[in-house]
Amino acid sequence: MFNLIFSEAWISITAYKMRTFLTTLGIMIGVAAVVLMVAVGQTVQNVIDESFESMGGNLLIVLPGASTSGGVRTAMGRPTVSRQDMDSIKELKDVLTTSYATQSGVQAVYGKNNWSVNAMGTTPDYLDVGNWEIDRGIMFTERDLKSAASYVVLGQTVVDELFGFEDPIGKSVRLQNIPFLVIGTLKSKGPGLTGDDQDNLIMMPFSTLRQKIRGARQPQMVSIGFVKVNSENKLDTVLQRVTYLLRARHHLKDTEDDDFTIRNMAELVEQVKKVGFYLSLLLAAIASISLIVGSIGIMNMMLVSVTERTREIGTRKALGAPNRWIMIQFLVESILISFMGSLMGLVIGITTSQIGGYIFEKEVPISIWTVILSFSVAVIVGVVSGLFPAIKAMKLDPIDALRYQ
Amino acid sequence: MPQKTVVEVNNLKKTYYMPGGMSQNVLKGVSFQIEEGEFVAIMGHSGSGKSTLMNTLGCLDRPTSGTYLLDGKEISKLSDEELALVRGRTLGFVFQNFNLLMKRTIADNVSLPLLYQGISKTQMYTRAKAMLEKVGLAGYENRIPNQLSGGMQQRVAIARALINNPKIILADEPTGNLDSQTSDEIMTFFQSLNKQGITIILVTHEPDVAMYAKRLIRIADGVVEYDGSVKEYMERQHV
Repeated sequence: MFNLIFSEAWISITAYKMRTFLTTLGIMIGVAAVVLMVAVGQTVQNVIDESFESMGGNLLIVLPGASTSGGVRTAMGRPTVSRQDMDSIKELKDVLTTSYATQSGVQAVYGKNNWSVNAMGTTPDYLDVGNWEIDRGIMFTERDLKSAASYVVLGQTVVDELFGFEDPIGKSVRLQNIPFLVIGTLKSKGPGLTGDDQDNLIMMPFSTLRQKIRGARQPQMVSIGFVKVNSENKLDTVLQRVTYLLRARHHLKDTEDDDFTIRNMAELVEQVKKVGFYLSLLLAAIASISLIVGSIGIMNMMLVSVTERTREIGTRKALGAPNRWIMIQFLVESILISFMGSLMGLVIGITTSQIGGYIFEKEVPISIWTVILSFSVAVIVGVVSGLFPAIKAMKLDPIDALRYQ
Repeated sequence: MPQKTVVEVNNLKKTYYMPGGMSQNVLKGVSFQIEEGEFVAIMGHSGSGKSTLMNTLGCLDRPTSGTYLLDGKEISKLSDEELALVRGRTLGFVFQNFNLLMKRTIADNVSLPLLYQGISKTQMYTRAKAMLEKVGLAGYENRIPNQLSGGMQQRVAIARALINNPKIILADEPTGNLDSQTSDEIMTFFQSLNKQGITIILVTHEPDVAMYAKRLIRIADGVVEYDGSVKEYMERQHV
């Protein structure tokens, strides 16, 4: 019986092609908007995830200076954390390794080429902590760190700008007129969260930077420290241990605030992810307004259709159509319209989001949930907007309906 | 041959209750019987209760009191759904304005009553084709109503009324929208159907049309004013 109702409904809605098409348009735009917005939200979230992953997971970041002092925000960055602090943290339980760094902007010269770059003095473990990989050559060693060797490892942007297609390994680059030997290059990471070029970087031993590029009154002090922890759920305990250790090493009294700040990267990631999630939710919610409008369009069209087909309904009833049948037919018509609109909207939404992804060079995911969601929405919208007109059709008195002009 | 009673109405009454406590007695106790194979014309002025009687006979309306036996079955107390079933199985309707579905093919229109009987699409089409042949419209299966003349459309409607092998054909002013020549054609066709043994109840206000029937039931002011031979009645009128 259902295939008969289905074919009756199909013939009825295709009899008025223009009207049916215009009605499906409303749902189509709504579903396309939702699909597109969900895709945008998910892409943004993916970009955030990737950026955080490229910064390394299971990481605690130690910054010199207190974030607050006696309840008052103070300027951060007063040098308080030393290389020795970071080395001693390495001995703590559940800590895999530590690293530290300080940076300075320098002008790099090779032959006639000249490039402004970020010079980073750090330790060999920074590769692991910062999720970097050596592309060609080697990383400097602990021994180079002790001897303050004039070795550098170049980021991909620096390689491109200074060397072009030339092999930089074994060549000499001048930074502030001092020659440095290129011993390795880094694999590219692409732009960071804020769109900055992470590959515009030269790595060298911490001691080398302090002695040859940028001296300091307290050369042992670092700008940033990294603590890599062996598992994500140990982050909080390790954070406690690091705090105790640093307070002890800095001889802080119980009444004194910390003179350093420790940030839990995983927590930060969670927070940014949450923001991303609410962002996609918001986008989808805005897009679904157009779905509601489309659904009202269907209801309106079905009501017109019931009025226009009053005589048809009367005839069908006189010829033996049960009320149930009349109601189901109108409901199926409404669901079909909504379903077709959803299908078209899904195709358009996915196509547009993929084209957008292609233009902005981002991978846009097609989630199965979007598909399931839009089809459930189609059925729900169809039923909700078709129910009232269908009941109206069902309740028509055949005598009045037959007399209707 | 003993004749079988297909319609038996007994003291049929219908009262319409209007808002404000007013009520109107439209049928005030109508009784008659119709045997299988009869050709009955029901006449009456507008407001006589003729339409209400027709709607009741057509199982579209229930009487306020009295009984209505259709093919031996009491139907005055049936539910809407049961009435729909009775209409679909035992009645065939022919309307004044044909009431064809204008967007559908002739074959779809003719087979429409079968749709609600759970019959397959292919069988519906086969039976529609056969029925169209019977009413002289072979080859018109895939046309739409607008491509046909009024007389042809009414024949499509008759084919539709016949397709479920009904016990009675109920024709409500079937020639009201047709010119006199086409009217004659349609009424002659009804006569030939009646000769094949099909029971026909015809509602009309035109004496010319009623003349095609054998028996006349005249309704006036909610009661049966005359029940007998059409010829006798007409002769009496002309004297």
